[in-house]
Amino acid sequence: MSAAPTLPALQQRLLQALIAPAPADRASAADWIQPGARIDAAACLDIYRRSYVLRLRRCLAEQFPATRHALGAALFDDFADTYLRDCPSDSTTLYQLGRRYADWLERNRPDRDSPADEREDWIDFLVDLARYERELFHLFDAPGAEDQPWPDASADDSELVLQPCLTLAQYRYPVAGYYHEVRAGRDPAFPPRSDCWVVVLRRDYDTTTFPVSELHFRFLSLVQQQASIDAALQEISAWTGRTLDAVRQSWRADVRRAWVEAGFFLRRTTGVHDKQR
Amino acid sequence: MPEATAASGDKAATAQQNKGTRPQSALGLGVGLRNTHFDHILAEQPAVDWFEAISENFMDSGGRPRAVLRQIAQRYPLVLHGVSLSIGSTDPLDRGYVQRLRRLADEVDARWVSDHLCWTGVLGINSHDLLPLPLNAEVLAHVTSRVHAVQEWLGRPLVLENPSTYLRFRDSTLGEPDFLRALCEATGCQLLLDVNNVFVSCYNAGTDAQAYLDAFPFERVVQLHLAGHQHCGTHIVDTHDRAVSEPVWQLFRCAWQRSGGAATLLEWDGNVPAFPQLHAEVLRARQFMHDASPAHATAAALAATPAAVDEGLSTPVDFLVPDVMQRSRLQPA
Repeated sequence: MSAAPTLPALQQRLLQALIAPAPADRASAADWIQPGARIDAAACLDIYRRSYVLRLRRCLAEQFPATRHALGAALFDDFADTYLRDCPSDSTTLYQLGRRYADWLERNRPDRDSPADEREDWIDFLVDLARYERELFHLFDAPGAEDQPWPDASADDSELVLQPCLTLAQYRYPVAGYYHEVRAGRDPAFPPRSDCWVVVLRRDYDTTTFPVSELHFRFLSLVQQQASIDAALQEISAWTGRTLDAVRQSWRADVRRAWVEAGFFLRRTTGVHDKQR
Repeated sequence: MPEATAASGDKAATAQQNKGTRPQSALGLGVGLRNTHFDHILAEQPAVDWFEAISENFMDSGGRPRAVLRQIAQRYPLVLHGVSLSIGSTDPLDRGYVQRLRRLADEVDARWVSDHLCWTGVLGINSHDLLPLPLNAEVLAHVTSRVHAVQEWLGRPLVLENPSTYLRFRDSTLGEPDFLRALCEATGCQLLLDVNNVFVSCYNAGTDAQAYLDAFPFERVVQLHLAGHQHCGTHIVDTHDRAVSEPVWQLFRCAWQRSGGAATLLEWDGNVPAFPQLHAEVLRARQFMHDASPAHATAAALAATPAAVDEGLSTPVDFLVPDVMQRSRLQPA
């Protein structure tokens, strides 16, 4: 029997044993772990190893239910096991467990060395779906605006800024539609490729995804960058070649009321203004 | 390895100050606060004595969980119970984590803040499991210095729980009750005695659960935990997914009486039942609290009954991950 390991060495050894894909060797486990009352040292260690994998795999499945549906449970679990070995949790909260999952899928796609136009569509779809699920998960518990009054449509444009718990996202597939079909208990087919732009926001602790046009997405991105509706309208006017009056008229007639009432905006305050800048 | 913290004189003063002072420990019978019960609790305001909230579910929350916790704190006494302090790790303590925990504790007026005598990771990796420590003098010194630091940062005594364990290290030289007693004397920290964990750990190690209680420093206990477990024949897993077993109730009877009526809480984290059923389970404790039998469980009463087929998950995570899908919708284009 070898000398007792120091505490740092013992902790590193146990952690490596948890992350290892296979059970510990019986003889080496017995070197530093006492046998249980009815099982040997390796079996004692394996209780922790099994629970580590199952716990984090289940956690990841709960954070990516639609991706799991798309992949199937067995393949999702295979991916999860590899992801958890490559990207073990580095946070005190399990909420962050899936933070790197979509990027990991992209980096580890089997066709990663192929030219972009020869890559598999379904993998692009899965990466986008995982990004969307992560965004929903993040917005669920991100700092929001629930403690502030919502403006109504009478607010002046100069008073409005995008609310903090809002994300603008662009996907190559209609992943939001797929996700909500799964949510409804259906079994949707993989959708065909179709660029889509969405606003995802939380209001009163419910998260809603609003599909928008590419032009509206560009406009809202400008509002987010510049914290000024007027400046964004001017840039849209220059980009489209339409007059500023025509663009302003379209903003007011087509989307303004609906977006204000849906909770896209807050009244400008120093704090919010500074945050967006 | 020891953390640099307050001057040794300050530590001794804090330990002395904390000694024997129990923070309002007679809270009664409470249940663990779980996401699935938020709506019921807000709507029905059930007659529960108190709640215990998992610290990590709320301390970084900017959304509904923290808003709900603030509402619940207005009506019920709250205790915070953590799973990521990692007091026994050889990684540096995460001061930012402790500061965020303190902010939450102040915000909800937590009666006390607890975590486990364990470590959860090392080298920056969090296993999200409550891993066992070798129990010896070296580790006692290590944990003592970290408890001092955490108590200083938290501005209150730390309450530590005995974890359920599935292995013991060869270089352990102290029993868990002795280790905890020495830790309390050195730091003034207090204890959360998980009766189910005593039963699980002792069964797995082949030791005597009643002897464990006989050696336990009850004068430091402010809280008791109850939970269900899964008996797998060769070992028992602390699954928190079913009713409390009869042998654990027998241990509870002894522990509750010896602790002088410490606050008692039921944890239920997997296959979580509807709130009324959960509440009814913890109220079963009343049958044992004032039982006039000797405060000592017989060997026959502590006999365990195997019942398992597939091994369950220790420390299930369902309660740590919110159901985001349920609160999401798609606006028609």
